[in-house]
Amino acid sequence: MKIHLYLSLNPEALIASHLAPEEFGAYLAVGTQKYSRGQAMFFDIDPAMQSDYPPFQEIGKRCVPHLDGSPRRSTYLAIYRVLEYVPVAALGRLHLATHDGRVLSLNPAPYTPPVDRCFHLYQEFCPVTPRVVSTLDPAEFCQRLTDPTVPVYVPKIAFAELALGKLATDLESADVGNLPYSGLQHLRDCLRELNRKPGKPTKVTVRNVRDDVLYRTIQGGVYAGQGRELKFYPIPTPADLDSAHHEWWHSAQASFGS
Amino acid sequence: MFTTLIKWARHRRTNTIFLAAMAAFFVAAFYARPLFGHSAGQQSGPEAPAASNGEPAFRFFALFSDPKYTQLELVALMVVLGIAIAGLLYALLLAKQVKAADQGTPRMQAIAAAVREGADAYLAAQFRKIGPLIGIITVILYFTTQSDLGAFKFGRAGAFAVGAVFSWLVGFVGMRLATTGNLRVAAAARRSYGEAMQLGYRTGTVTGMLTDGLGLLGGTLIFIAYGEQAYEALLGFGFGGTLLALFMRVGGGIYTKAADVGADLVGKIEKNIPEDDPRNAATIADNVGDNVGDCAGMAADIFESYEVTIVAAMILGLATFGHKGVIFPLLVRGIGVLGSIISTYTVKAGPNDTSDTALKSVHNGFWIGSIISIVGFFALGFAYLRFNPAINLLRNASPEDIANFPNTVPGNLPAWANFGHAGLDMRPVLTCLIGVILAIALNKVTSYYTHTSHAPVKGLAKACQTGHATNIIQGFAVGYESTVAMVVVIAVAILLSYLCYLGTPPLFVAYGVAMTGIGMLTLTGNTISMDVFGPVADNANGIGEMGYDAEAMEKQEKGSYKHARQILADLDAVGNTTKAETKGIAIGSAVIAAVSLFASFIAVIAVGSEEKISQMTTGQYIAEAGKLTVAHPMVFIGFLLGGAVPFLFSSMLIRAVGRAAFLIVKECRDQFRDADIWSGKKKPNYGRVVDICTSTAQKELIGPGFLAILTPIAVGFLLGTQALGGFLAGMILTGQLLAVFMANAGGAWDNAKKLIEDGHYGGKGSEAHKAAVTGDTVGDPLKDTAGPAINPLIKVMNMVSLLALGLVIKYNLITGTASRVVGLVVALLCAAAIGWSIWQSKRESKELQEMEKQFEQ
Repeated sequence: MKIHLYLSLNPEALIASHLAPEEFGAYLAVGTQKYSRGQAMFFDIDPAMQSDYPPFQEIGKRCVPHLDGSPRRSTYLAIYRVLEYVPVAALGRLHLATHDGRVLSLNPAPYTPPVDRCFHLYQEFCPVTPRVVSTLDPAEFCQRLTDPTVPVYVPKIAFAELALGKLATDLESADVGNLPYSGLQHLRDCLRELNRKPGKPTKVTVRNVRDDVLYRTIQGGVYAGQGRELKFYPIPTPADLDSAHHEWWHSAQASFGS
Repeated sequence: MFTTLIKWARHRRTNTIFLAAMAAFFVAAFYARPLFGHSAGQQSGPEAPAASNGEPAFRFFALFSDPKYTQLELVALMVVLGIAIAGLLYALLLAKQVKAADQGTPRMQAIAAAVREGADAYLAAQFRKIGPLIGIITVILYFTTQSDLGAFKFGRAGAFAVGAVFSWLVGFVGMRLATTGNLRVAAAARRSYGEAMQLGYRTGTVTGMLTDGLGLLGGTLIFIAYGEQAYEALLGFGFGGTLLALFMRVGGGIYTKAADVGADLVGKIEKNIPEDDPRNAATIADNVGDNVGDCAGMAADIFESYEVTIVAAMILGLATFGHKGVIFPLLVRGIGVLGSIISTYTVKAGPNDTSDTALKSVHNGFWIGSIISIVGFFALGFAYLRFNPAINLLRNASPEDIANFPNTVPGNLPAWANFGHAGLDMRPVLTCLIGVILAIALNKVTSYYTHTSHAPVKGLAKACQTGHATNIIQGFAVGYESTVAMVVVIAVAILLSYLCYLGTPPLFVAYGVAMTGIGMLTLTGNTISMDVFGPVADNANGIGEMGYDAEAMEKQEKGSYKHARQILADLDAVGNTTKAETKGIAIGSAVIAAVSLFASFIAVIAVGSEEKISQMTTGQYIAEAGKLTVAHPMVFIGFLLGGAVPFLFSSMLIRAVGRAAFLIVKECRDQFRDADIWSGKKKPNYGRVVDICTSTAQKELIGPGFLAILTPIAVGFLLGTQALGGFLAGMILTGQLLAVFMANAGGAWDNAKKLIEDGHYGGKGSEAHKAAVTGDTVGDPLKDTAGPAINPLIKVMNMVSLLALGLVIKYNLITGTASRVVGLVVALLCAAAIGWSIWQSKRESKELQEMEKQFEQ
């Protein structure tokens, strides 16, 4: 049986499995018990990759089929500081699983900085999970957060940019229409603070986001990187998602989150 | 046997033979008068020689030999029959058009077939359950008819059975067509907006024209057969339609919401999967429910209003304007059917139309129909409503009777009533006009309180930002306010009808109100087209969701999938709006019909027996009406009890939905445990959920059915006729208020959710959306189960009271003239059955107890 290696972002873990990404996503999202559910995000990692990271040596030994010959759904190889030890170059496709286990696979693409907005809203997924507003574009944000010279930094980061709607260009816009975030007033205050203090590039709006992030709010795509090394996983437009990945998109829209 | 009958009737050749035989029969009846009545010149009808018991003699088709009826009137009646048949033929033509349309891919056809099978199974099961009951009631009606004449006994019982079958037929055919049309609409949406829209609307029009045609056919045939003594048969006909409508509404309402809530609880809440996800076993039942509730239930409901208003108008017309008062409503209905045929055919949409333009086209159709009808009414009234100024219209003239016309002379009517022509009386036309305006006004009021573009729904959506509770509170406020607006509109219409007959006896006012009802339901064809279009578009959207092959369509033509889905979503939105608008008419017509029937109720008490109603004097009517005052303790007690019944009825229905939904939840959970179903590799057993819905809906309708039929009987026998009068008044008042509240609050909550899902106040998935979903869930059983079922409840209770009144007058415990033991026994039996129904409505099913045990483990 073919072994797949996945880096899960929520919770952070390195998992070996005999399941292909679609099956693995459904398994992570809904499990085998009737009440289990939840979104899941995970990267493909090449299991044959050469690495000094000890869990890699365990893959072949631990991920073996069950005695009855059925595939091993998940073998957790590591659950702590995993992203830190996996090179950015080793990150393959990113898979986004909805609550009910529909999986959308995103391929990495060359990064193009967004030019149509002054403010950005970022949701960090790993290793920490705050929601942050910033004047930095995604590449600058990644560099800033993984810069060891600043007092607070992380070795690597995975994050997505979320939609800010009209607030991205007009802080005082009354029309927040389709923005589902709770505490919109606080979000606006944070943006105002960034605007007031040009030297302050980021501001945390929510320290720890516990709910699922609504996939429909992801704007542009998902990023993973360290310093200048950045992988960009563009997400298709809503129209493309509706026509080319209809089931996933429909499922993603049926979720509640923050 | 019934299925065989339907198959036979659907056979093209037998259909033609049947229609030809019908036509030949009536032509023969028209020309061979001596065979049916006396020879010309001889008197017949009410003026015929008295029978041995002193009552007027009766002959079928006596009006053909009655010199009172002119040749022109008889021809006009034949023309009305012809129009009724034309309406049915038009429905047949449209049905053929719909059936001939493209049926889409095999995958789409499989989904549509599952929905259709479920819907058929439901109606077949319902007919199996109700059929024997209809048989029993037919026999009871035969033997409890006060008259000794077999013709009247047969008339009441037979007309009841025919009314019930017609009502069932309207529901059955309407639903069958809807389940045929939904597939065609989904298939047409892949090509053009206009084609899909037209197919959907025409599917609805088939049901609309069937309602029009059968309603008019039934009323006209009964009048032709029984002439001025049609009272008994008309009541039976109306009761048959009403009782079936109650069962269709109650059963359909429980079915649709049980399936909907069950599907949502497991699908959306527990599993977080989208609506119409094919892995959910309740999905097909949910789509079936849209048809049995919104299609069959609504069609039968409007059909009974259509019947009841014509019954009330004909009964009161006879007691006021004589035979002209009976024929006029039939002719008005004929014009309405013609108006509907022409106007529904004008509803069209172009390939690139949008929701707004489509809605405009539907509304334009309604306006065109209204204009045709109004012009027709005035032309008809001007030609027909001419009276001899020398005679008073009431046969048994009393001092009060002469109030009919100022100074007893029709020529003295004011100019607005006779347009300056002595002998002309246009007041019946004016009250019809009020009815047409009332229908439009009720549409507008409903639209204002439930449409996303108006302040109430916007306010509700805004309230969702602050949580679930504020949404519920605001929804109550919107619902309560809307009842006031509806009551004001209906009260103004009744007031205007009253003003038309100011200074005349109350019976004329009642006739005016009945004619308002006739006017209001003039465009029944259009109204039902608009209503049925809702579930057809909704189902088509579901078929698109489950049945379209997105990748294949995109490969064939880029963007085609999205385009087709957008068309279906737009049509669904239009359907939601049109469906909501017609709910106001359904409730309004129930109130107007009930008010008219209430006048008949007073008339029967006044003369002591329904067979003497044609001999009633205005003095008797006024004296009896004067006794119905809340200062009378028995009337007040009846008023309080009557006011409470709609609440108890609603409570029973809402509980029934909860119970049925639990069973569905259990089944869906069981099926979701199958990993292959969850992963989409295996189809769930949709039929199992459909079966559960069908059987529970049938089981649950017994209790509310008992309550509706037996409560007025128990009150009448136990507390007497005065209390029964109060009971009806209380029931009409609270029933109307409750029905409007539930329909509009539910509609507003539903659309507030849609507004948020369209991207306002945070859009899908936001906290506001969660609150909106809560509101919608609360509103669902209100707007789709309990609220709509109150319309037939009001009419069933009125009808039962009228039908039982003769016996109540004789045997009631307070003022009965015969053995009171009979009254006591009947009252106790009814009370025991009602008590059993209430107990049944509160019990927990075995399955529910099992589920609770599972949770405790």
